[in-house]
Amino acid sequence: MSAALDYRNLSPEVAARFERIRQRPVILSVRGLKKTYGVNGSTRTVFDGVSIDIRRREFITVIGPSGCGKSTFIRIIAGLDECSGGVALLDGREIGEPGPDRGMVFQGYTLFPWLTVKRNVMFGIEMRGKDKFTAESEARQWLDMVGLSKFEESYPHELSGGMKQRVAIARALANEPRILIMDEPFGALDAQTRAQMQSYLLQIWKKVDITVLFITHDLEEAAYLSDRIMVMGTNPGRIVEVIENPIPRPRSTAQFVSPEYLALKLRLEELIHPPIDVEEDKLPVVKLTKAGDDVE
Amino acid sequence: MPKRDWLGLKHDLPPRRRFVLALCSFLLPLALWCAISYVPWLWHPLVHVTAPGDVDYFVEDMDVPRADFDAELEKVQAAGGTLPEGYRINPLYLPPPHRVARAFYTAFTTEPRLPNEPWLHESLAHSLRTIFWGFVISSIFGVPLGILCGTYRFFSRLQEPFIEFFRYLPAPAFGALCVAILGIDDGPKIAIIFIGTFFQQVLVISNTVRKVDPGLIEAAQTLGARGWKLLRRVVIPASVSDIYTDMRILLGWAWTYLIVAEVVGTMSGITYFINQQARYRNFDNVYAAIFMIGIIGFTTDLLLAWIGRVIFPWKRRSAAASGKGSLLGRIFNSRPKPAKAVEA
Repeated sequence: MSAALDYRNLSPEVAARFERIRQRPVILSVRGLKKTYGVNGSTRTVFDGVSIDIRRREFITVIGPSGCGKSTFIRIIAGLDECSGGVALLDGREIGEPGPDRGMVFQGYTLFPWLTVKRNVMFGIEMRGKDKFTAESEARQWLDMVGLSKFEESYPHELSGGMKQRVAIARALANEPRILIMDEPFGALDAQTRAQMQSYLLQIWKKVDITVLFITHDLEEAAYLSDRIMVMGTNPGRIVEVIENPIPRPRSTAQFVSPEYLALKLRLEELIHPPIDVEEDKLPVVKLTKAGDDVE
Repeated sequence: MPKRDWLGLKHDLPPRRRFVLALCSFLLPLALWCAISYVPWLWHPLVHVTAPGDVDYFVEDMDVPRADFDAELEKVQAAGGTLPEGYRINPLYLPPPHRVARAFYTAFTTEPRLPNEPWLHESLAHSLRTIFWGFVISSIFGVPLGILCGTYRFFSRLQEPFIEFFRYLPAPAFGALCVAILGIDDGPKIAIIFIGTFFQQVLVISNTVRKVDPGLIEAAQTLGARGWKLLRRVVIPASVSDIYTDMRILLGWAWTYLIVAEVVGTMSGITYFINQQARYRNFDNVYAAIFMIGIIGFTTDLLLAWIGRVIFPWKRRSAAASGKGSLLGRIFNSRPKPAKAVEA
């Protein structure tokens, strides 16, 4: 493989950017995080020894095959699950119960169906004790930002999937969290809407001082969005590699044919889809009736 | 679009056909009733004697079984006497539809036979009062307890095993006890409705609350809601429309307990009216009164369903789409669905 196609070869601008990121303060520090649970007397390890430092305004994607515990990992960060070992520090304080400092966007649509779009965004602001008037004006700003001001009086069921997720993002950001955790937020959307949402998300991320921890199982999504890609593996769940994304910003779909992109994608494919050792000869031979003879 | 079959599997029918079928569901039993009542050779097991002829025990206006009438007729014919005359009728306990329809009016205008007997409207009001208080008192305790049991495992484990046991105790079995404790007036009746409703109510509502999408609760937690606020701002609003539907179903059950409750102590309300009328053999009034219970129940449900749609606007589409909601909602499902917004 030529040097130009090595995903570790960063262009000078990209390398400088990572250098700048390394100067920033650490927002989330995870040290030796471990999750186990008991099944019928024996313990099963979901993942073990997960350590990573995430810096301010970084965009981290977590990718891995199903069963690697990536969802559990961010649920622990969000405070929705408890870890079995190790620590996770947010701004140096150990994380505990779910709180407004860690905003979360889920894959399933979790807008409150009984509240209008505006009231959904106001929910967190009011929970923080701000009065209705302030909450309303802040909610309007956030809805402006995701381009949904026209729909502030609509109910969630009147919105499309992509719009619902934009409201969910606005609702999470309205709490001004330190970190935005996104659990396959675009997984349920069709390909076109997903592409649109990815570009929306990058635009929002550019405007807001927010660190993003984003789970996906889509390689292209990971490559398109991230600064660094945390690749997890299974059995037991662990971090396989943390890749610095060699694709320069600003990102565009035109880069999907660049050498950096192809090199990165190749590496991710290798890590996530290891060759399956099924030899064709060992598959049972099924004799087809009649047609079988002339079919190759 | 291909023309849809009346008997297509699984897909819903267009509103017009739904309406026609809903109408037929009422018209078919009515048609059957009419046929049995008005077509003389269908059933009509009795003969109404118009002239006794030479049969000694026949008197005018007497109803005799057809076989007996035919036998006597043959006997008289053989003896060469005057033939008895009569026409075939149904038994008194199956009045024809028009008489029941008339009874809907006359039952209200007929003065009670005994001086201290209530009018029909008084009986109905009494029944409604009993069911109202029984249901309200049950709900005052049952709804909050159900919500607590559905939200917190602590209350669920503390309360539900006992309630699960208690709901198998038939409410009418407490009749004698209720009379002993509460006297013979309305107290024991309300208590029976309470016993019949309350325990089901707690279980049904706690089950509904438990079914609140955990994703909504988690989302609220990550937005900073906890404790009492989580309950008040998320759990209750997320389940309130389903609780409302539960309440409508429970109200239907309360009606079935009403009839039992009204025979406890001094018989009262619509049950008393039905019993008295049956005793006087005014079966048209009996049918009218039974149908009135049905009509009151049905219209109450229709009204509550309509109110539900007004106060829970976010449920409008999802209820229509999932085919849930009230029976009536499904039958007369003609409300406009809100237009789906396009991707902005």
